[in-house]
Amino acid sequence: MTIKPQGVTPTNGKAQTNTPLAIEVKNLTVSYGSKPALLDVNIDIKQGQLIGIIGPNGSGKSTFIKSILGFIKRDFGTINILGFPIEKAKGLVAYVPQRGAVDWDFPITVYEVAMMGRYNKIKWYKSPSKNDIEVVNDCLEMVRMSEFKDRQIGQLSGGQQQRVFMARALAQGAELLLLDEPFAGVDAATERSILDVLARAKNAGKTLVVVHHDLATAAEYFDQLLLIKQRVFAYGPPKVVLQESLLTEVYEGQLQVFSQLNAQAQ
Amino acid sequence: MTWFNDIFLDPLSATYFQKALIGGCVVAAVCGVTGSLVILRRMAFLGDALSHAMIAGVVGGYLIMKAVFNIEASAPAMLIGSIIAAVTTVMMIGFVSKSSRLKEDTVIGIMYCGVFAAGIVVLTIFQDIVQIDIMHFIMGDVLGISDSDLWLSVIVAASVLTIMILGFRYFQITSFDPIMAASIGIPVLLFDYLLTICMSFVVVSTVSMVGVILSVGLLITPAATAYLLTDRLNRMMIIAAGFGVTSVIGGLFLSVILDASGGVSIMLFCTMQFLFILIIAPKYGLLADWLRKRRMVPQAVTEDILKGALKINNDHVKIKSIGKRLALPTSTIIKGLRSLVRANYVLLNNDTFSLTPSGHKQALRIVRSHRLWESYLAHIGTPIDQIHNTAETLEHIHDEKTVDFIDDMLGHPTTDPHGSEIPDDFVDASKGMITPISLLRKGREAKICLIRETIIASVDIKIGEHITLGARINSGKTWVIYKENGVEVHLDHQKADLIFAQTTN
Repeated sequence: MTIKPQGVTPTNGKAQTNTPLAIEVKNLTVSYGSKPALLDVNIDIKQGQLIGIIGPNGSGKSTFIKSILGFIKRDFGTINILGFPIEKAKGLVAYVPQRGAVDWDFPITVYEVAMMGRYNKIKWYKSPSKNDIEVVNDCLEMVRMSEFKDRQIGQLSGGQQQRVFMARALAQGAELLLLDEPFAGVDAATERSILDVLARAKNAGKTLVVVHHDLATAAEYFDQLLLIKQRVFAYGPPKVVLQESLLTEVYEGQLQVFSQLNAQAQ
Repeated sequence: MTWFNDIFLDPLSATYFQKALIGGCVVAAVCGVTGSLVILRRMAFLGDALSHAMIAGVVGGYLIMKAVFNIEASAPAMLIGSIIAAVTTVMMIGFVSKSSRLKEDTVIGIMYCGVFAAGIVVLTIFQDIVQIDIMHFIMGDVLGISDSDLWLSVIVAASVLTIMILGFRYFQITSFDPIMAASIGIPVLLFDYLLTICMSFVVVSTVSMVGVILSVGLLITPAATAYLLTDRLNRMMIIAAGFGVTSVIGGLFLSVILDASGGVSIMLFCTMQFLFILIIAPKYGLLADWLRKRRMVPQAVTEDILKGALKINNDHVKIKSIGKRLALPTSTIIKGLRSLVRANYVLLNNDTFSLTPSGHKQALRIVRSHRLWESYLAHIGTPIDQIHNTAETLEHIHDEKTVDFIDDMLGHPTTDPHGSEIPDDFVDASKGMITPISLLRKGREAKICLIRETIIASVDIKIGEHITLGARINSGKTWVIYKENGVEVHLDHQKADLIFAQTTN
């Protein structure tokens, strides 16, 4: 179900022999006006991993995500997605919005939201094909939302709402899924159900990049952590990234985070 | 039957009435379809702005045609003029709100008032040349609709409807989630402009029917009415078109009855229709909302009923005796019981009720929470005579995570400060579950399946062994377990938390 952009060949030299990197960022610099949001970011992210992006407020986490989506004008630097330059990678990357960014009163059902993932593949004068319908149903099944497919999206629990958007991302056939704070303000049961869906997507070979703000749970949820504040401060397994010296440097002045973290560790 | 003839049949035979009916219905239907997107995108104010701004275009188009070709009141020129004026206003709004610190609604207000004023001033200067009746423009004249206006409306409606139907999916996705739409390569900006242009065309048609002031009403009211009735965009558009049509039909007959202007009668009917639906809509109506609220009972009441029924411990608990126990009126108890029936926690007979198995479990959960909170309050030194009352309030905080946390912090007590048994954790410790053995009480049997590395060397237990729990000693701080060979092992709380077993009874 992987869609390959046509007319381009992977620019990554290793791509022919090895699997290409999910995300390859070189010298990425982005600024708003005179303020730099990202400064010379370099990062290679392998496929099939669950990655958490952490960093204090205003550290450029969202800017990083938006850059990978191709929404942000870069000052300079290159981004390759699965070996393709970002401009040619439309459709390979799917975005799961922050819950606050969605109009939950919109007259739309679970099934219709998931079907949106197929809209760029359906010709404008045609209705969804059998294949589209099948893919959407499979994706809803995968996130265990089939029984709610005719519900209006506002009439779901927080975790179910998150799963609908996961289904849409999967229906897109995207290989790389970007999630913006899916764990913000959800209860324990919702948290488990979201983690379950993330694990299923990972097992299906997808790469997941998740913006996350809770350091206390970061180690438990993710394979790799990316610590950002304008620059990349660390990228690697949680043990390596969650070091007090590193965190103090990045989270200066936001010390309550540590007391929380220490309480967890003890 | 003469009144029936006067009101319903006579007007229908008049040509001007027929034209108003046809033109009005066509315009109102397409208004409903477009208006659905307008209200979902919160563009209502922009719609109002467009209707005001178009007067500048009408005057401009009129003057140019008159000056260049000496054609009087050319309808197509005025239409094109209005569209140009509308689009120009939108572009100015977009430019100013992007490049200044002002919010969009402020900029909309500034721009359309300016354009409207300019239009009126030009109209006044050239009033000898331009034959436009400003009152018609402001109030509309649906009953005096000309043939050219009628044709124009039909053409506009047909084109806008075609665009809406063919572009439905794209309008839906760009309205709902523009970021995602852009990320899959849908030209979001193109559809934004397309919708604004469609809206301008529709507004131009409505202005000739109901006038500048009311045109936004015809655009949004039928759509808003439909929004109260459905959860799907395509149905909302169809229903909104229907309400538009009924507004025009109802409003025109209302104008005959009241001998009032057509435009205001249509809007009055349309608004009454909205208010009616607002009250009676089955899901989002005021009446439904009121009924829902009336049926609602505080969670504390339903939980107290469950707990009370558990204590009475009878298959047929009398409603009256529960009322007495909780000191609540019978009507409140009945409301609470109805909500418990819906949750499948109780079975209701005439004046008695009984707990279902899941109701029994829920009641146990609350008792567990109550007694653990009591233990906690005793632990932090609350005087014993205050413990119960405070716990009555705290017991309603009984989510699993909180209760389990308190349980663990207190060392998994088996009795509360008054000596009553605390129900055990039937979720984590039910048969077949894998659980830390600290949660198991006397008499439970289990098979060890995991021992944490940190303590594996210091305990005399191996993975795979079958064990039976004995009574705790040392005032509950030491767990006693018996192995199959009769050997007795003592564990403290910390170790008991780190050994996991699958329960077999």
